[in-house]
Amino acid sequence: MSLKNKQYWRSLDQLDGTAEFKRFLKAEFPEDAREENGDQVSRRQFLGLFGASMALAGLVNCRRPVEKIIPHVIQPEDRVPGVPVDYRTTMPFGNSAYGLTVRTYDGRPVKIEGSPAHPSTLGKSNAFMQAEILNLYDPDRSKSVLFNGAERTWDDFVVAWRELYKENLSARGEGLAILSPSFSSPTLSRLAKDFFRNFPRARWIVYDAITDENIYKGVKAATGRDLFPHYKFENAQVVVALDADFLMLESESLNAARGFAKARTINSVDDEINRLYVIESGWSVTGAMADHRHVLPGSQIGAYAAALALELKSFGLNVPGIDNISPEISQKIDKKWLTEVAKDLLIHLGESIVIAGRTQSLAVHALVLAINSALGNVGRTIDYRLKEDEFTPDANELALLKSDIDNGLLKTLIILGGNPVYDAAVTLNIKKVDCSIHLSDRVNETSQLATWHIPAAHFLESWGDARSIDGTPSIIQPMIEPLHGGKSDVEVLNLVATGQDERGYDIVRMTWQSMLPRRDFENSWRKILHDGMVQNESRTIVPYIQSRGVQTALDYYPVDAPSPTKESLEVLLVPSTQVFDGRYANNGWLLENPDPLTKLTWDNAALLSPQTAQELGLKNNDLVTIKVTTKSITLPVWIVPGIANFVIAIPLGFGRSAAGRVGNNVGVNAFKLRSQANSYILGEAHATKATGTYQLASTQDHGSMEGRPLVREASIEEYRQHPEFAQEMVEHPPLKSLWKEHKYEDGYQWGMVIDLNTCIGCGVCTVACQSENNITIVGKEQVANGREMHWIRVDRYFEGDPAFPRVVHQPVACQHCEMAPCEGVCPVAATVHDAEGLNLMVYNRCVGTRYCSNNCPYKVRRFNFFNYIKDYAETIKMVQNPNVTVRSRGVMEKCTFCLQRINEAKFNAKQQDREIQDGDIQTACQQACPTNAIKFGNILDPGSEVAHARQNNRNYGILSELNLKTRTSFLAKLRNPNSNLA
Amino acid sequence: MASQAEPLILGHPTFRTITDDVSQLTERKTPLPWYFLFAMAVSLALLLFGMLAYLFIEGVGVWGVNIPIAWGWAIINFVFWVGIGHAGTLISAILFLLRQKWRTSINRFAEAMTIFAVICALIFPSVHVGRIWLVYWLFPYPNQMAMWPNFRSPLEWDIFAVFTYFVVSAMFWFVGLVPDLATLRDRAKNLRRKKIFGFLALGWRGGNRQWKHYELAYLLLAGLSTPLVLSVHSVVSTDFATSQLPGWHTTIFPPYFVAGAVFSGFAMVTTLAIIVRRVFHIEHIITLKHLENMAKVMLATSLMVGYAYSVEFFIAWYSGNMYERFVFINRALGPYAWGYWTMITCNVLVPQLFWFKKLRTSIPVLFIATIFINIGMWFERFVIIVSSLSQDFLPSSWAYYRPTWGDILTFIGSFGLFFSLFLLFVRFLPIVAMAEVKGVLPEANPHYENKGEHS
Repeated sequence: MSLKNKQYWRSLDQLDGTAEFKRFLKAEFPEDAREENGDQVSRRQFLGLFGASMALAGLVNCRRPVEKIIPHVIQPEDRVPGVPVDYRTTMPFGNSAYGLTVRTYDGRPVKIEGSPAHPSTLGKSNAFMQAEILNLYDPDRSKSVLFNGAERTWDDFVVAWRELYKENLSARGEGLAILSPSFSSPTLSRLAKDFFRNFPRARWIVYDAITDENIYKGVKAATGRDLFPHYKFENAQVVVALDADFLMLESESLNAARGFAKARTINSVDDEINRLYVIESGWSVTGAMADHRHVLPGSQIGAYAAALALELKSFGLNVPGIDNISPEISQKIDKKWLTEVAKDLLIHLGESIVIAGRTQSLAVHALVLAINSALGNVGRTIDYRLKEDEFTPDANELALLKSDIDNGLLKTLIILGGNPVYDAAVTLNIKKVDCSIHLSDRVNETSQLATWHIPAAHFLESWGDARSIDGTPSIIQPMIEPLHGGKSDVEVLNLVATGQDERGYDIVRMTWQSMLPRRDFENSWRKILHDGMVQNESRTIVPYIQSRGVQTALDYYPVDAPSPTKESLEVLLVPSTQVFDGRYANNGWLLENPDPLTKLTWDNAALLSPQTAQELGLKNNDLVTIKVTTKSITLPVWIVPGIANFVIAIPLGFGRSAAGRVGNNVGVNAFKLRSQANSYILGEAHATKATGTYQLASTQDHGSMEGRPLVREASIEEYRQHPEFAQEMVEHPPLKSLWKEHKYEDGYQWGMVIDLNTCIGCGVCTVACQSENNITIVGKEQVANGREMHWIRVDRYFEGDPAFPRVVHQPVACQHCEMAPCEGVCPVAATVHDAEGLNLMVYNRCVGTRYCSNNCPYKVRRFNFFNYIKDYAETIKMVQNPNVTVRSRGVMEKCTFCLQRINEAKFNAKQQDREIQDGDIQTACQQACPTNAIKFGNILDPGSEVAHARQNNRNYGILSELNLKTRTSFLAKLRNPNSNLA
Repeated sequence: MASQAEPLILGHPTFRTITDDVSQLTERKTPLPWYFLFAMAVSLALLLFGMLAYLFIEGVGVWGVNIPIAWGWAIINFVFWVGIGHAGTLISAILFLLRQKWRTSINRFAEAMTIFAVICALIFPSVHVGRIWLVYWLFPYPNQMAMWPNFRSPLEWDIFAVFTYFVVSAMFWFVGLVPDLATLRDRAKNLRRKKIFGFLALGWRGGNRQWKHYELAYLLLAGLSTPLVLSVHSVVSTDFATSQLPGWHTTIFPPYFVAGAVFSGFAMVTTLAIIVRRVFHIEHIITLKHLENMAKVMLATSLMVGYAYSVEFFIAWYSGNMYERFVFINRALGPYAWGYWTMITCNVLVPQLFWFKKLRTSIPVLFIATIFINIGMWFERFVIIVSSLSQDFLPSSWAYYRPTWGDILTFIGSFGLFFSLFLLFVRFLPIVAMAEVKGVLPEANPHYENKGEHS
């Protein structure tokens, strides 16, 4: 036998070539790890991706697609393993675009921050943005193209689509429809034009589960044009919010919160601050910030807006389009609330904002625009810009789509993201369509019914673009090769529209070639990739208000709805602060981040006022069945003082059945109560107590401050009379120590000041900290047992009259006491002080007696009761910050003032042979905080922001009478009430 | 002296009958009920070890502890068991120094009880830490990390206090056993017993010089043990007293804890004595007089803890500290009021029965009352630890504590370990200090002349 013919076999089975052996062989030596290793990223693949993204990251600030995986034989310049590189990109969110700075370690993105130059974020972020990094590494993302549930490849789909493409081309798009969420992408918009060029008879339906449709349509009704508002809260002295949570849940809330905080900031007794009137039905963080909060059921808020318009008119202001409003409408509203608000608005002509929330009808929005216009606000505190590449949602189109499907008129349906089967008010019978294609990051409720499922690439894995709040075109660029072979919406739409399978990079670049001057394109393209966006001239206009349009809108959508009663309740559907519309349902960080007002985690609940609960015979954790027309859901009750009576507020986005291992069957799906996609206020609801109870998990059981001076608050008048009120609130004997205290007089001495006057309580600090410091989630049972791990929590207290309570928020993390009570009691010296005033936690030395926690007056220490990290999926390990120890079982942990960031700054400063400057270090919570409420720095540096804040007369420490000498202090909260309305 | 007015041992025993009565308990065939009881106790002890294994595998999370209530049943049980131990040392050492001769009948098993209780107590703090495998870091030992433990921490003081207490108590007990072990050796009928007791008796011959050394050693050890009675629970109380926490941060704790410990220890000794004297028919050695004396001690210590409870309230009001005041009002009226009133009932009200001679000399009353006292003393630690932690400075962190079945079974299991050891003791060692009892017989008096009955 010649050598060439020699056959080697590994076992007798192989010789036989049994099927079993072949299976074994394939499993043991997969040709394509991605296809075979369904559930997790194999080590080989991980290294592959790693290498690819390293190569991708080879050119700093310039992203080039690299298809081949090549190891570094020669290390690229500027590339130091372990040294992070920050890139700019953009997170698309409906019609919004949030500019980001993403920190990557060796090609692995680990932390998201806002991009300081970007107008939508201004360097700040919200909890959703922070948590996107966890979504990227979600092990439950889909990993393969599916055809009727069977695994296929992208190439299979390309082949299949080309067949369909030809068919549809000849039918000119008859029977073809695209269902997409709203977007503002120039590239998608360009491809949409291609699509309609090829398929002129095709339909394009834009649908959002939580939609700003009423806002857009209201503006259109009043002006006749498609316009987008851009509020400039920094210029507004008086703000009237009508069911508008503009600080957190409305679109572009980051920009709004930043502007609002600017107008709220007070540095001395002579400063003026803005005044906020909130008229709302449920509780929002905006309502908690209000100087005056008026509780009205959502259905009555339109009446308030109308009455306010009449009141303004009676003072001589010409509000267009209100002639048909019956004067009787003012009878329903508290007279004082009309007169005083109107007066305040008239004093501040051109420097006020009246803003309505997305829950309100288009007529209310048209009316509010008319009011703003009459007040001279448009163009001064509110800019409007023309629609460019935006696709905006339309609920009517969705209803038409349903009837098309039901009538068998639709042959091909392409769903570009979203989850309409779960959240649409109408039942889309997708199975009835010959071929449905769903692009989604996971096999969700909609994918399960679709013919084709295409795994969607995360925005951190894909190329794309979007326009931000002021129309700024922003670029989406990948930080990492798609982990699971996902495709971006750009790539899928390009294939659908043109039949070409092209790379996202080429598609996006082509768009931008037409947007930028051809001359010198390469240079400007590189600059855009570096900046993440391009500065463009503002395209704002001051629209003319058509009084006929406003009047017609008010005729069509009357504002005099009947008030809810015990027999006919009102349901208020609100986006969840945790999962928004359900898209973050599998995100543990967000599910465990307590709601700012209810402090509930891991569930939604029927939120109602104590009086409503009493009349309906309900208490906390009771189950209640809520029925609207023929639709009903059963969910637990949570009583929140300060919600309008006979209103049941229910957060949306829960009750997913195909979200993933974390999010399945968490809470109850309240979308089921809807019969129209743009309705948030559902009248004529009935609630009956259901049998049984359901245990909700709240991180804060006790809502009262018990008269303790924790959050110190005064009106601005009181503050002017007693500027030192915060310190004077507590009397105590002189604080003397039994021993000689350490002085902490030289070097860096770190300190933090939290301004309660601008803190809105949104809770982004908690998630930012979680992301930065590798803080684990523990699950609902553990939260219910008081074992959540958050290093910074936001305490919420109710105060005042239980019927009309006010809410204050207070972020609490380790206070870094100079005389720390935790340190003395640790028997193994695992928590000690350093020379820079930090209270350190030495994980390696900790044996876990938990004595430190018992002796901590702030209860900010967190203990690993179990080995929570044991079951981390491989991909979740990639989200960990490599500079922060991952803690195991039995160890105490707590806020470190982001020690790793301090050390990084020290390292950089030393390399540059200089001292650390103020602003070099931002803690994760500080960096994320949209209102700049958190200040951090060297308290010995007289020029530092934190030293200034500590000099502020509102500065106080909680429990300072215990002589703890905390390094964290607070600036007392101020309210600016209208003395005539108090 | 009381012994003159009333004989300490009844039934006119002689030296011989005492030797016989006590020794034969270890020599006769094991009675069947012993097997039955031992099997029960050992299965409970196995439950304890099973629960500890579960704890080691899963982590401290199997218990009900959380933030803010980071110490739960484990520490309550620790303080409870250490407290129980106090009676033994008090009886053997302090009453010895005070020449309270009635102690001789009960000191042996009271001391045994001390040691077993301290063993049970030691288990809890060692396993309640998060990383059990590193618990030895609490000991000061030379190591490559060049790290000492933190001597400022009261937990560190605990280590020294409790271990010293354990070692001294064990030595004291063993030294006291030596003459009796020699008696058993001398009576041994088979070689194995002879060898074992021979080894343990350390060559005791009962010579004059040996007695002289023995008594000096015993006196010295009694002197050593006496401050320990006061120090151990004082140190344990500093775990709480030195902290910032309202409800813990009080200077009254050391005496209050010691009184409580003696109180609970005497209750436990009485419970055990009532069972032992009945089961082994040694009512003439452990007489009603002993039980009555112990009841009197319990009444006195009950008044002390009752006083401490009320003084705490007074100070909470008098201090003008809002946090302190809240904690105490909350104890009596808040979510743990049931625990507080259980404690008051068992510790303050029940012992008031002992004012009446009829009641304090009634075996059933004594038996039930002492069990109530032990329940009450467990609740005292529960109230101090849990109610203070659950509602401290910041209302945002307040929480309610619920034990898990892990907590409950571990505690029950610790009783199994205690009774297993105790049953082994009553089976194999002399449960009454024969030599000492003989010392308080009238015959031991050098002036005793006649066997006649002219009292």
